[in-house]
Amino acid sequence: MTKKQSDTPSKTGSKISRRGFIGASVVGGATTVLAPTALGNTNEAATNPAKSLPPSEAQMEREVGSSMPPEPIHNVKRAASDLMVQVLRDLEIEYVALNPGSSFEGLQESLVNYGDNPNTMPEVISALHEGSAVDMAHGYGRAEGKPMCALIQGTVGLQNGSMAIYQAFHGNTPLIVLAGNDQHNFLKVHTGEDIAALVRPFTKWDAQPETLEETLVALQEAYRQTITPPCAPVLVVLNSEIQKQEAGDVQLPTYTSPDIQGISQDQADVIAQDLIQAKNPHISVGRLRTPHGIASAVELAESVAASVDTTATQGPMSFPQRHPLVGPGTDKDYDYHLGLERNASQVSITGPSLKSLMKRDVAGVRFGWMQDPSMRRGPTPEVLLNADAEASIQLITDAVRQRLTEEVTRSIGERNQANTKNNQTFKMKSLRQAIEKKRPGWNGTPVSLARMYAELWPLIKDLDWCLASPTHFSGRHHRELWDHDKPYSYLGQFPAAALGYGLGASTGAALAAKDRDRIVINIQADGDFNYMPGSIWSAAHHRLPMLIIMHNNRAWHMELMYLQYMAGVRGRGTDRAHIGTTFRDPYIDFAKIAEGYGMKSEGPISDPEQMVAALKRGVDTVRNGEPYLIDVLTQPR
Amino acid sequence: MIKNLLSSLVVYLVSALSSPVLITAEPITGNAANGKEPYFNHGCYACHGYRGIGKHNIANDVSGIMMNESVFLIFLRARSELNPPLPFQGMPHYPESSLADAEALDIYAYIRTFKDSPPLAESNTTLQAIIRSAQSQHQAQ
Ligand code: HEC
Ligand SMILES: Cc1ncc(C[n+]2csc(CCOP(=O)(O)OP(=O)(O)O)c2C)c(N)n1
Ligand SMILES: [Mg+2]
Repeated sequence: MTKKQSDTPSKTGSKISRRGFIGASVVGGATTVLAPTALGNTNEAATNPAKSLPPSEAQMEREVGSSMPPEPIHNVKRAASDLMVQVLRDLEIEYVALNPGSSFEGLQESLVNYGDNPNTMPEVISALHEGSAVDMAHGYGRAEGKPMCALIQGTVGLQNGSMAIYQAFHGNTPLIVLAGNDQHNFLKVHTGEDIAALVRPFTKWDAQPETLEETLVALQEAYRQTITPPCAPVLVVLNSEIQKQEAGDVQLPTYTSPDIQGISQDQADVIAQDLIQAKNPHISVGRLRTPHGIASAVELAESVAASVDTTATQGPMSFPQRHPLVGPGTDKDYDYHLGLERNASQVSITGPSLKSLMKRDVAGVRFGWMQDPSMRRGPTPEVLLNADAEASIQLITDAVRQRLTEEVTRSIGERNQANTKNNQTFKMKSLRQAIEKKRPGWNGTPVSLARMYAELWPLIKDLDWCLASPTHFSGRHHRELWDHDKPYSYLGQFPAAALGYGLGASTGAALAAKDRDRIVINIQADGDFNYMPGSIWSAAHHRLPMLIIMHNNRAWHMELMYLQYMAGVRGRGTDRAHIGTTFRDPYIDFAKIAEGYGMKSEGPISDPEQMVAALKRGVDTVRNGEPYLIDVLTQPR
Repeated sequence: MIKNLLSSLVVYLVSALSSPVLITAEPITGNAANGKEPYFNHGCYACHGYRGIGKHNIANDVSGIMMNESVFLIFLRARSELNPPLPFQGMPHYPESSLADAEALDIYAYIRTFKDSPPLAESNTTLQAIIRSAQSQHQAQ
């Protein structure tokens, strides 16, 4: 029978022994031994496609719950799926967001019942749509820099989840998808010989283990793969029968952390030397992988008092925006410019990109991004080091420290003072300029988006907060008005510009926030909301600290503007451009939707003063550990 | 075509000069009250907000295009050759067949009523709180 894993598509017809490792495979700079093995007969699936017959009557009865399972339930002492849960627990997977399916009732039963503290680490999160489950994992992964799981049903769940997987792939986000597959007893239409092929072009790695031992190894390998750059979603297809087996004396495999490739010691020495010699060094910090990476970037910048620029207002995991070294420094004429996951004039250290995974496009989709992969912004570096920046920073800092003489230390101290002072002046000036741009329309009805962001800030600035929704449509006014000081301050734009993301991703960020005394802000576009509103219920059910503020412009407004322009180009008038672009007749009542799903809510509000009062109520409610939705009618942009 | 290009040139020169000073005392023949509906129905609000503050601000007589009715009409009619038919959020083209002069002039009159008087940063508690928060951040460091 077919079984496969792959970081590369299996070769048609190739035969590899079931037990043998296929050996070392270099993925993203990290050397990993891949197990379990590939038996590359995608051929069979391709030439013999008609295996999915319509469900038989007996199968259908089982699906609707009106008959017993066709096989007796095993009377097991040590359930195989308990061990799978133990592996996830040992990996400190906090949550498994699932949409239930009988291809993984074994695993789900273990999740809810196994162990002294059942249903903790991981805890089951009920998702109303597989896309929501994956989006939750996406939001969580962006906020924490580590994966949680989405557990979904066979071919059908995987297809529902696929766009969200595609989005997380482009977001370089670590997450683990687990898909149940029941090849023997169940609806054939929910199964396949290689269901991972459905999403292979936009996952990093997948496996379909055939034994319990292989399953446990695959779960660990999935974790290792997803946190190794290029970080991206991975998939393990879980055989339903294995989950229900007796584990016997099978032991848990030992997990080893990935060896993520940074720069060499020699390279670190050269960079350190140049940094020390520079009179006016500057460091550009992009998106690192984990909070640990940020801490070491701060340490490096401080060790040489370099001025720094950050992407913290554009997305997660970058340098704290209000750090005194952030800003142009005393003089923008830098004599040494280092980039950490960003381009810089002299040296740029950037980890492997998604391009290294293009070979997984076995279906031959040839996505647009593959033909024209987007360029990194910024200057062209003199030296481009293809290595993970986060894994490199400590080496550089250590090398700097070794070179600190008394004299160097003194001049770094002076530079620190000068840079700090100039950056402060610069920031206050920029803030005042920004505020001048935010004032217009302040008292307007419906509410000005700039004012919405402005009014929120004093209410949350002393709290631990995370802005989880994309903010492009609502003007991104937080960039200038708020301080983005945490790894998760702003989780960024939807990476594949695919709508339906904001609510699920914010719910996932709220999962991360839940036990960390943090609140999540979701400024939620109305069009985006309507794809998968079910996460409202998940947030209510799991009591997640998420404040949803609707950016309700009663339209897919972006598309309205495009259509108006098109009609203008053709000279046919814009008075019918609202057709197929707006939500009128009837208007959508988001407060009622929230209420129906069990979430506290209010609105619609179009008066800015009333909005301010509502925001206060919202923040208070969320601080008390309950989600809240405020429907605000806004200016379109 | 040539005419269009020429008039768009004029329009660009005018808009480059955009300034309230250019707004003249020339008579407004359109009816502001009647202009509200076509301003909405023709979707001007989409890019200019419900009262002239939006993606592109036109309140407070800041636009040279609004200096008088005829320049405004030229501007509306002149844009067919300006931009390629790509997805774009620029100002659409409005030939007379799609937006008659009379309606356009009502819209003109309506836009001229857009007055925005936001609070000064100094006198607004929220904006002051934002500035203070940034200042205290620095003092703390
Ligand atoms: C799809 C977006 C869009 C729509 C719809 C739109 N505009 Fe514009 N408008 C713009 C943009 C962008 C500009 C900026 C300058 C340019 O493109 O020439 C502009 C400029 C203007 C100006 C000149 C402002 C200046 O800066 O000098 C006026 C007046 C104006 N529009 C009126 C209208 C009216 C009246 C309508 C409805 C009949 C309308 N617009 C519809 C996008 C739009
Ligand atoms: C899955 C998906 N479908 C369609 C689109 C095309 N699209 C781009 S913007 C947009 C409208 C967005 O509406 P909304 O979320 O309400 O934001 P607004 O533009 O109104 O601020 C659509 C439908 C898309 N990007 N993704
Ligand atoms: Mg909208």
